Parts: sequence; C-alpha cells; structure tokens
Amino acid sequence: MRATAASRFSTQRHPYLMAAVVFLVLCAVNAILQPTFLRFGVAASNVAAFLPMALVAVGQTYVVLASDIDLSAGAVVSLVNVVVVSIIDGMGGTGTSMALGLVTGLALGLLCGAVNGLCVAFLRFQPIVTTFATGIVFAGFALWVLPQAGRQVPPDLYLTYAGSLLGVPTVLWILAAAIAFAALVARTRFYQALRATGGNMQAAYQTGVPVARVRLGAYTISGLFAALAALALVGETASGDPLIGGALTLSSVTAVVLGGTALRGCVGGVAGSILGAFILGLISNVIFFAQLPFEWQGLIQGLIILAALAGGVVMARGRQD
Amino acid sequence: MPVLEASGVRKQFGGVVALAGAQFALEVGEVHALIGSNGCGKSTLCKIIAGSVAADAGSLLLDGRAVSFAGPRQAAAAGIGVFYQELSLIREMTVAENILLGREPRGRAGMLDRDALEAAAAAALAQFDDVLGAGVHPRARVADLSADQSQLVEILKVLAAGPRILIFDEATAALDRNQVSAVFQRIRALKGEGRSVIFITHRMDEVFEIADRVTVMRNGATVLTCALAQITRDELVGTMVGGAVARAGRDRRHVPSEEIALEVENLSAAKLAGVSFKLRRGEIVGLGGLHGQGQSELLRALFGATPLRGGAVRVAGQPLDPRGPRAVMRRSIAYVSGDRGRYGVMAIRPIFENLVISLLARDRRWTVARQRLEREVGPFIERLKLKFSSLRAAVSELSGGNQQKVVLGRWLATRPGVLLLDDPTKGIDIQTKEDLYATMDELCGQGVAILLHSSDDEELLAVADRVLVFNGGQVMGELSGEQRTRFALYQAAYASKHPA
Repeated sequence: MRATAASRFSTQRHPYLMAAVVFLVLCAVNAILQPTFLRFGVAASNVAAFLPMALVAVGQTYVVLASDIDLSAGAVVSLVNVVVVSIIDGMGGTGTSMALGLVTGLALGLLCGAVNGLCVAFLRFQPIVTTFATGIVFAGFALWVLPQAGRQVPPDLYLTYAGSLLGVPTVLWILAAAIAFAALVARTRFYQALRATGGNMQAAYQTGVPVARVRLGAYTISGLFAALAALALVGETASGDPLIGGALTLSSVTAVVLGGTALRGCVGGVAGSILGAFILGLISNVIFFAQLPFEWQGLIQGLIILAALAGGVVMARGRQD
Repeated sequence: MPVLEASGVRKQFGGVVALAGAQFALEVGEVHALIGSNGCGKSTLCKIIAGSVAADAGSLLLDGRAVSFAGPRQAAAAGIGVFYQELSLIREMTVAENILLGREPRGRAGMLDRDALEAAAAAALAQFDDVLGAGVHPRARVADLSADQSQLVEILKVLAAGPRILIFDEATAALDRNQVSAVFQRIRALKGEGRSVIFITHRMDEVFEIADRVTVMRNGATVLTCALAQITRDELVGTMVGGAVARAGRDRRHVPSEEIALEVENLSAAKLAGVSFKLRRGEIVGLGGLHGQGQSELLRALFGATPLRGGAVRVAGQPLDPRGPRAVMRRSIAYVSGDRGRYGVMAIRPIFENLVISLLARDRRWTVARQRLEREVGPFIERLKLKFSSLRAAVSELSGGNQQKVVLGRWLATRPGVLLLDDPTKGIDIQTKEDLYATMDELCGQGVAILLHSSDDEELLAVADRVLVFNGGQVMGELSGEQRTRFALYQAAYASKHPA
C-alpha cells in the first residue's frame, strides 16, 4: 500500500490523536460533573496531582521508543523520595540541605537508570525481568532508608512547589520544562537513533547506530524523570514514603500506550504520554465526582481504560488494511 | 596497490567452516563481481569486510594498512558502505530519516535541521527520479513503499554516506529492467569517481554487464579471479560447481503414480510471485536454487503458516484454503523444518509429548490417553530407529538427528499424504541423514508425495526426482533425469532476467 492523501493525516503521523480525542471527551465529562473544573485554580491543582505520573510516563516513553521497558521506574520514585526527604530532614531543613537533597535525588535517579541501561544494553539482560528485579532492589533500598512513611521537609519547599513563579503556578513551570526538554530531544540525532533502535535493532546496528549507548541513554532519561517525579511528590506530600511510587510503574506504561506509543518501539512520542497520564488522572476524577459507590470504582476505571485502549487499536487496524 | 585486500581469511561458525583461507583483492575504480554456489562463503566474507562479523584468522588491508573493525560503525568510518540483502531500513521511519540515519544535518545548537534533512533526501531521490515510481518522497514512510522502491531507497542510503568501497549484496533482486539500468548508470559514475564496488548477484547477465573482474568462491575458498573479458558463462558456472562434474542422482528412483497429490497454481505470497507446479503421489520434488529465493516461503505458505496473496492450491483434486496449519494438517499435509529450535521441538518437554503433539492438535482430543497414544506412535518410533533412554526424558537430551526423527515421527503418526520438508537434514549426522533418506524412499513407495527443500545441493539432486529451480520467488527451471547436475542447477539459478 502506498501512502494516500487520506492516510497522511491520521494516527499514522500523529499517534497521539486518539489520546487527544479521549482527553477532550473526559474533560467535557469532568466539567459537567464538576462545574468548577475549568477554573484556573482547579485546573492547576489537577496538573499538580497528575504531574508525578506524567513525569514518569515521559521518561518511560524514551525507553519504550527503543522497544525496551522500565519496570523499575516506580521503585526509583520511592527511593529518590525517601532519600531526598531523609537528607533534608536529617540536615535540619536548611537551604543547603534542600539544595543538596534535590541534587542528590536527581543524581540518584540518573544512577538507577544507568544501572538498568548497563544491564540491559551492555550485558544484554532481558529488559522486563531485569528492570523488574532492579525495581525490587531499589524498593528494598527505599525501605532500608526509611522503613515507615514520615519525616518532614521545611515549609519553604512545599510552599514553593504549591506556589507561583511570575504569576504562573510552579507545577505548570515544571510541566512546561518537561515539554521543552522533550521538544529539544526530539530534534537531536540521539532521538533518530533511538527510534531507529526501536524500529529495527539489527538494521540500526548495521547502519552504525551506537545501539547500546542509545538504549543506555533512554534508561538514564527514564531514571532522571522518575527522580523528578519523586521531587514533585516531596513538594506535594511534604514527607517521605517508601511505598509512594509502587503504582506508578504500570500506570506510566499504561499512559505511554494510551498516548499512542507502540510497545514494539519507534512509533509515538512524549506528547501522547503526557496526554495519557492526564487521561488516567481524569478517569479517577470522573469516577470520584460521579459519586459512584466505592466498590464499583475499580471496575469502572478499568473498563474506561480498556475502552480508551480499544479505540487506539481499532484506529491502528483501520490503517493497516 | 589494491584499495582493499583480504588474504587467508578463515571463519568458523560452531563446527561449520564458512571460510577456509579466502583471498580477495579490490582495485581502485573497479566493479568486482563475487559469485559462488550456496554456502561458498561470499556472504561471510562481505560481512567480515563490513565489520559485522569478526574473522578467526587472516588479514584485511585497506590502502595497504592492516585493519580490523570492531563493528559496522568502524567499517563505515573507514569508507565502507554496505547494501544489505535483507535491507537495513527502519519501516516506521520516513524515507528521509532512513537515507540520512546517523548523518542527519544539524543546524543551530546542534539541533536536527529537518528542512535540510528533507532537502538532502530529495536531492538523493532525484538520482532515481525516472524509475522510483509514485509515492516516494522524503516524508513517505518506508513501510508504505513497494519492495523495489525500498530497495532503491536502501541503495540511496548507502550512496548518501559517500563510501569509497561499496558492497552490493543482491542489490538488484527486486528491481525491473529500467531500475537496474538506472542503478548501473550510478555504479558506472561511481567507478569514474575512483570508487570501488563489490557486486553480488544471482543473475549472470548482470555480472557480464557491469563487472570488470570476477572472483569465484567455492567451499569457503577463492578458486578464481579473472577479468570477465577472458571467460565465458559456462566456464564460470563450471568453476562455481567445481571439477566433480555432472554427478547424476542416485539409482534408487521412485515410481510416481499418475495421481496428482498436490497442485499449485500461480501462487503468490510474501517472497513468492506466481509459482505453479504439480506433485504426484510417490514422488519427491526438490526446491532448489540459491538460498532465500522463496523455497522455504513456499513450504510455509502451503502449510498455512504465512498468508497467501493469490493463486490456488489443490490437494488430491480438491481445493485447499491454507488459512492455518491446523486446517492444512486436517488435509493430511505435514511440515518438518530443519530449524528445529524455532519450528520443531519443544526442547524442555518429554519426547513423548513431542511425538504426540501433532495427533493431539489435529484431532482436538479432550483427554490424553497415554497408553493409547503410545500404541499409536510406537510403530513409528521403531521405523525411524529412534534411540532414547525413556519417553519421559526431555527431547533436548537427544542428538540433533534424533530430535529431527522425533519431529518427523510426530507427523508420520498422522499418516500424511503430502510431506513438506524444509531443509530437514540441516545440522544432523550422516547416519541419521541416511536413515531419513531411506524413510523418504519408503514413504514414496507407499504413495506419499514429498516436497523437499534442501540447502545441500548434492542432497537435493540425489534425493529428488525432479528439481524446481527458484529465483526471486519464481520457478525458473525444472531439472529431471540426467539434467540433475550441479552445473545445470547453477546455470538455471543464475539465469533469470529482470521483468521489463
């Protein structure tokens, strides 16, 4: 089949179109159920609530584009969260301690990602099993650092996070920075090499693409964004919790797939994953405001996610025939 | 001084010797054809030059200096460009992204310059403007291109790197006559610029049309290098197949009945373009030619493992719709692959399970009555002279040959009328091979029809009553009786022409 004018403007070129449609529908439903939804303050607090998952999903996207997967992302969030809080609280909550804590947290995220990348890309371990295992190790470390949720960070930190900068809420700045980062990366040779690696690893290798380094890079980015998500959670909760990231691993993968990125690699992008994360968050909102009985919430949430995924699959089928 | 010189190159894969001291020298500004029969080592030699395989011994000189490449990246940096037969394109990426992969133009702050990328790709595409056909533009996805268009894009990708040494491995296989002319024109221009080309093809016409010199390889060694002006076609084919001339098939001939067991008419599928033939009961028909010309694809398509695009298949006169292996096996057709690890044995499961799986799959039995099944497969265990300690032992404990007997046994238990054998003796010992040949003869005597593909030309010519010679997914010739010689096989294998 050759490209026709019709197929050129489709999910083929814009894999996140489906996610955008679902996102708008959910916004509309949410606005009906919760009349204040469109107010700026409410929207900003929604972004704050969805931000950690969106950040993890952004990092996960790079790994998935290379046809790998990072099942340790949630554990990295937990580990960085407790380490940062422990450093800041342990050093008395001074300005220096905050700076040191944030920098250490980011470095730790990079390190965790690099460990994953080295195991998968250079030692050629199987990605699913490897990152599942390193995830257990990271989660174990988190429990060792802080066995129970607790400790505190000084108000300066969480007030800054909840506050505004130049009249714009801090969380929007962070989201904008993540989008800017993604837009920059998408215009590098690295990104082309990443997609080529995910599209056909053997062909990429034969073309001279440094496949192992590219995969390592993707895992490192995933670690970095998991660390950013952890910092966002510190700002959000003002305390440490060794179990806080657990659910983020699979929801980040779900967000990536909802956003149109193919698990087999090459196709997709960060924009879709952010939409995917917001979709997951909006689904929780809708269920909350629809005042469904508690025992029905999980069931309905699962069904909506399945319906959103099915939409993407149906559109993908349509373009293959 | 040659621009590239390989000498004494040796390479072994497991126990198989792929190269046993190959010599090769490429002069500046020449087109050098590299030809040989199946398994002669020409692909391995190219992969060593391209840096994707490391040699065990021997030297590689580039401009007289010894080099050894750690990977394709280093080879590319040294000015070697490779057209890969299986293509190195990323299907989900655009034509422009593929052509300039790894060499994307960068603008401000090192960021990718998409406009420049697409302009460069458009300039590259302009070289083949007349022959590319509709739908090829810088933003087109490679997945949306046809086979010939993809092949031209792969050629442009190789050219875009501006290599001094180009290796074209079957670069013209899917092209029509005009497209080949355009490619040859480019190759002549490259020659004029002082670049050197190694050209591999399965079309003798092309060798004489484009190449200055030819090197013939046989059994992992170089047997001849000479100018094409000094040699004829028949001499080349003779050199390729070696001195042991014209060994005809064995004396044991089968006596096919007149009944047609399998009739294939104009069958098309992935890598197959209009294959027609008839297979009679009690006959072995061989599928030959150079590797990867559609022989395995035909067997897998007939077994329903890959979808058909067109054509008709009749089994014993009745139409067959090969929409899945299960539908096909219910029509008494069996398939045995030489790729046991992938399509044959379930390695960690017991021999017994491996033996009965086809019966179970065909008959949709609700329960597994072990003793009854043992009685059913018992005769075949004896007939195949299967050696094992216990039926409960994992099949992986057996030798490769015995594993293959298990796979054959599971199909014999279904009493097939047609047997599809895809290189069944690959990697098994001589004694087991003889056992398998004897079994095949015996089956023929009982009226079973066998379609056999083998990567071993001698075996194919010796075992099959007729050999269909494949080239580019089509049957290019049929050899029977005294014609079944390696010479005739390679004459036919190299004979095809491009569609106009």
